[in-house]
Amino acid sequence: MPAHDVLIIGAGLAGQRAALAAAQGGADVAIVSKVHPVRSHSVAAAGGINAAINVADDWRSHAYDTVKGSDFLGDQDAIEIMCSQAPKEVMHLEHIGVTFHRNDSGELDLRAFGGASMKRTAYVADITGQAILHVLYEQLMKHHEQVTRYEEWFVTSLLQDENGCCCGVIARDVRSGQMDVLGAKNVILACGGAGQVYSPTTNALIVTGDGIAQAYRVGAPLMDMEMIQYHPTTLVENGLLITEGARGEGAVLLNSEGERFMEKYAPNKMELASRDVVSRAEQTEILEGRGVGARKDGIYLDITKVPRKRTLEALREIVNIGKDFAGVDITREPIMIRPGQHYIMGGVKTDVNGATSIEGLYAAGEVACVSVHGGNRLGANSLLDTLIFGRRAGEHAAARAAQMAMPQIPQARLGEDMAMIDAIIARPHTGRRVSEIKQELGETMNKYVAVYRDEEGLRTAHETVRRLKDESGSAYVDDRGTVFNQDVLGAIELGYMLDSAEAIVVSAIERKESRGAQFRTDFPERDDEQWLKHIDITTSADGAGGPQVSYSPVTITQWQPEERKY
Amino acid sequence: MAETHRPPEQFTLRLRRYDPESGDAPYWDEHTIELEPHRSVLEGILQAKAKFDGSIGIRCSCRAAICGSCGVRINGEPGLACHTHLDHARAYAKDGVIEVEPMGNMPVIKDMIVDMDAVHWKKVKRVTPWLLNEGPQPEREHIVPRESMVDITQTMACIQCGACVSDCLAMEVDPGFIGPAALAKAYRFVGDPRDEEQRERLIDLSQDPLGIYDCTHCFKCVQACPKDVNPMGQIMRLRRIAGSDQKIVDQNNGHRHEETITTLIKGYGLLHEAEMLPRSYGGNSWFGKFHPAAGKELLSSLPVVLRALVKRKVNPKIAMFGHKIPRQDLNAVKKIYEKVESRPTRYELNLYVTGYDEDVEEPVASVVAGNAQSVPQSTEGSTN
Amino acid sequence: MKVAYWPGCVSRGFTPELHGSMAKVAPLLDIELVELDRANCCGCGVIAEHNQELADTLNARTFALAQQVQGAELMMNICSTCQGAQSECQERLDANAQYRAHVNETLAGEGLSYEKGLTNKNFLWLLVEEIGLDKLRSMVKRPLTNLKVGPFYGCYIVRPRNRLGIDSENQRDQYLERLIDALGGTVIEYAGMRKCCGFPIITMNKEASLKQAGMHLGDALDADADCLVTPCPLCHLNLDMQQPLAEKVVGRELQMPVLHLPQLVGLALGLEPKELGMSRHVVKPTSVIDWSSAVVGAAA
Repeated sequence: MPAHDVLIIGAGLAGQRAALAAAQGGADVAIVSKVHPVRSHSVAAAGGINAAINVADDWRSHAYDTVKGSDFLGDQDAIEIMCSQAPKEVMHLEHIGVTFHRNDSGELDLRAFGGASMKRTAYVADITGQAILHVLYEQLMKHHEQVTRYEEWFVTSLLQDENGCCCGVIARDVRSGQMDVLGAKNVILACGGAGQVYSPTTNALIVTGDGIAQAYRVGAPLMDMEMIQYHPTTLVENGLLITEGARGEGAVLLNSEGERFMEKYAPNKMELASRDVVSRAEQTEILEGRGVGARKDGIYLDITKVPRKRTLEALREIVNIGKDFAGVDITREPIMIRPGQHYIMGGVKTDVNGATSIEGLYAAGEVACVSVHGGNRLGANSLLDTLIFGRRAGEHAAARAAQMAMPQIPQARLGEDMAMIDAIIARPHTGRRVSEIKQELGETMNKYVAVYRDEEGLRTAHETVRRLKDESGSAYVDDRGTVFNQDVLGAIELGYMLDSAEAIVVSAIERKESRGAQFRTDFPERDDEQWLKHIDITTSADGAGGPQVSYSPVTITQWQPEERKY
Repeated sequence: MAETHRPPEQFTLRLRRYDPESGDAPYWDEHTIELEPHRSVLEGILQAKAKFDGSIGIRCSCRAAICGSCGVRINGEPGLACHTHLDHARAYAKDGVIEVEPMGNMPVIKDMIVDMDAVHWKKVKRVTPWLLNEGPQPEREHIVPRESMVDITQTMACIQCGACVSDCLAMEVDPGFIGPAALAKAYRFVGDPRDEEQRERLIDLSQDPLGIYDCTHCFKCVQACPKDVNPMGQIMRLRRIAGSDQKIVDQNNGHRHEETITTLIKGYGLLHEAEMLPRSYGGNSWFGKFHPAAGKELLSSLPVVLRALVKRKVNPKIAMFGHKIPRQDLNAVKKIYEKVESRPTRYELNLYVTGYDEDVEEPVASVVAGNAQSVPQSTEGSTN
Repeated sequence: MKVAYWPGCVSRGFTPELHGSMAKVAPLLDIELVELDRANCCGCGVIAEHNQELADTLNARTFALAQQVQGAELMMNICSTCQGAQSECQERLDANAQYRAHVNETLAGEGLSYEKGLTNKNFLWLLVEEIGLDKLRSMVKRPLTNLKVGPFYGCYIVRPRNRLGIDSENQRDQYLERLIDALGGTVIEYAGMRKCCGFPIITMNKEASLKQAGMHLGDALDADADCLVTPCPLCHLNLDMQQPLAEKVVGRELQMPVLHLPQLVGLALGLEPKELGMSRHVVKPTSVIDWSSAVVGAAA
């Protein structure tokens, strides 16, 4: 049984940054990922990373914009840490080789982004996530002696020792089908969000809530789970993302009347209001009959306003996405978009060092909720979140590891998980297919737990999720092999998704107000008196009683809640 | 516009299956799926997987040509399954059935899943794939030319999908060749003004017999790349920087060969093939052919040359003295050489950085507020 | 039709039978060749490895000379490598007016200037697109019945597709098959028909180079081809002239004749193997000569 000081689950930006930081901190590090690290979903982050690096900027301005963007649900101590450390982190990335685009003086160029009071988004064309992810992977290759990589290994469970401390995982080598115990003094969850709970979503097929569910199952609280971000510009047909960078470069939104309707909703920031505001405005236009397209369910994003040469240089990727996935030359004609599920602000509750309530278990990135995003995340703050809190979790875990011996690692779970997989493979073909249940889940969530919500719809969604959970117990798969059995892993992922979905729905039912991404048509106002607090979800002790709700306070340091206007 | 919904159609996929646990040889497996014609081959495979057979193996994740997971061969051509439209794939299929196979040049693990570690990643590791700048770092960012970062974004945009490796024709006969993806990655550092060991990298890649001079210039990688990385173009840039700028003379005759042809054309206006071989081996002068290395090579080629002479394939006069263009034109060619080669720095147009002239034209259509009619409406799906 | 004719270097050097056969075939097809005898080598991609601007300027000179030919409809070449190398330079010259002006400044000393938009077609493209296969079919005097011909394109004329104008409308990467068919021959498909002959690395990695040539020749042999046809004289060098060495590398006897494109066309238009220079090949095209005598014999 291999054992490491720090074991990181997930090799996107948060995971790789954590691994490098922990290695820097002297720890023996391992990183486990169910896909090759460069396939991680961070690769799809397009627009850029926020940092107050312009000499005229101030991290406090960035922090205030973030607090306001969060609809005052973000924890201000964490936001202060993130924004004040952002410039140094971006410079670090630059030093290790990220190819940030420059201005004519050769300094980092900055672009405008939603909800920001000035240009503070550093970028690499519109492949910023890919560029950073690949550079971090270069560093992992460089530091291969300090960081062991388990590439294409799938985690089935978190392990706890007799004191309840997290001490490793059970994982399956996808290629060989072999299962093993990977012991660790500390485990850092960095395996992303749960976008596949929705259909359509901008998120990759691998984003199935694995870490959220794994932490939840061992008793860690989840927080802000009701806060689901719908991105304002996703392709109508397949939900693929068109970066906010497009609007940052000057693109506008138009309804069927040809109106630049954001004038009505956010007269100052217009298309660059926060994402919840823009998505809601689009949805309102569509609901009121001013949508475009044959089914009137879209909005035009007009990028032809941006000089063509600039688009071709700075927005290359969406030029390709337009051409290849929608048949539209975005430099010549508008493209049809609509709000689409994109991000979950909530996740495994952590402190500012990434520590969860379970000793030895950390979380960072989209899987975690610090909470820096509160009710709504600003564009280009997610890369920052992954890197700052990934680094902090790595450093903290390495320091903790240095002060302890390797815990006793229980082996019994290995057999249980092997039996669980065998049982799935052996299921008779009498129930539903895993793929059918997944599809019904996605459509249900997108219908009832979307931009606009109400009690009745949320209850329907909850009932459906409960039923799908039951059905998933007998859902069958076709692949009976061991080598690259993606089918059986899909069945396990379905379980992760259903746990995540239930937490989302229960939180959304609980919050009886409208704040950030949660808009309740039956409670359309923000209610600071009752609801300026986080909703925490934990599993009941035996797991059978369903999710338990509790609350925790919002940390306010210097910005008192006020009415939000863009 | 894309809103013109075309109704779903049936497409038949012929998938190359291989189950390493069965002991059986690879076989073909057909499924008919139903989707809109501009949906991707990957979506077609996922539908087959969801509806008919969950055991179909293919790596995939983002569906948007950015994660690089779903490299396959479609109708024999390498590419991403998510980046190929069903109707387009069917148009190129031999018998109307879309064939999907695992990539080439890499061992197959299962179905369409290949072992990228054994080939692709091993080669990437070969080129020291990280920035070498160990010295003290500036307090803020490095100040570098704007164009330099746009330039290396082209190679940074490589998603490591392996499509170029799959069909590299040099690798097919010479599996050790470092190959297109890894050499494009190498350019990402050589072209990065922050890297401090560019010359060392270039010496390394020139001297390695499996390095930059082992590329056969077949354009397969240029065609295969779904992200416009232009791997072969990057290899040629590495050759230019190594040879022309850094004057690195490699042991593989690469630089000598290039200098030879360049000099011969300056001297004759046309290629003088008979001089090309000996000079490439022996050194770039008329005396090169008397160099021992050239002698050995000539001796081994002698039967071929003699045979060509006997068959009058090669005119002995041309073999000896070459063919030339008229004197006045030769002088003009020499002047071009002198002018271009005397520039203080070698000039190179990079279309990835500059774009095309038509790119700067004003947009032909733009929506004017209050006039929805001006939104272009095409009746045909313009997907490609 | 009248064309500005760029024969390339190799067709006048190591493969003179190519230039000779083109000269014989052209009048039969009513093509008037105005040879660009003042033009220079395209650089075969190698000068571009040395100095891209130099390659672009040298080819701009050739293009400018072609544009000076009165009454010529286009420029025609008979070499895949020339086509590819020149198309690459032309892409840059046509893309950017500033760059074009910069290059033209160098040409100005000679009173030359390249204007954007030259049409430069390989003989293969010209046959299909300008003359047309239907017309060609009607001109065939001696259909290549029962002659099994394997196409060998050469990389430079099939990739990259965008630059070479290959798409579903213009399937230039299928023209050889259609042409062989139009001439009455039997098309032999084999794995290597669009692969690399190995010539570009013959001086750097001889073993790999000859292995490529030998492999494709072997594949064609296994597919039962009587001969190959190629529009590229550099491929011809590796496939024909180097064939005896390639045989040693792949360890099998090949004896696969390789014809130049105009030779194959000439054969169908009634010319004799000998007047098409086939006796000059290193690998004697016995199968083709036998076929030819058999056809003549049958006709007599």
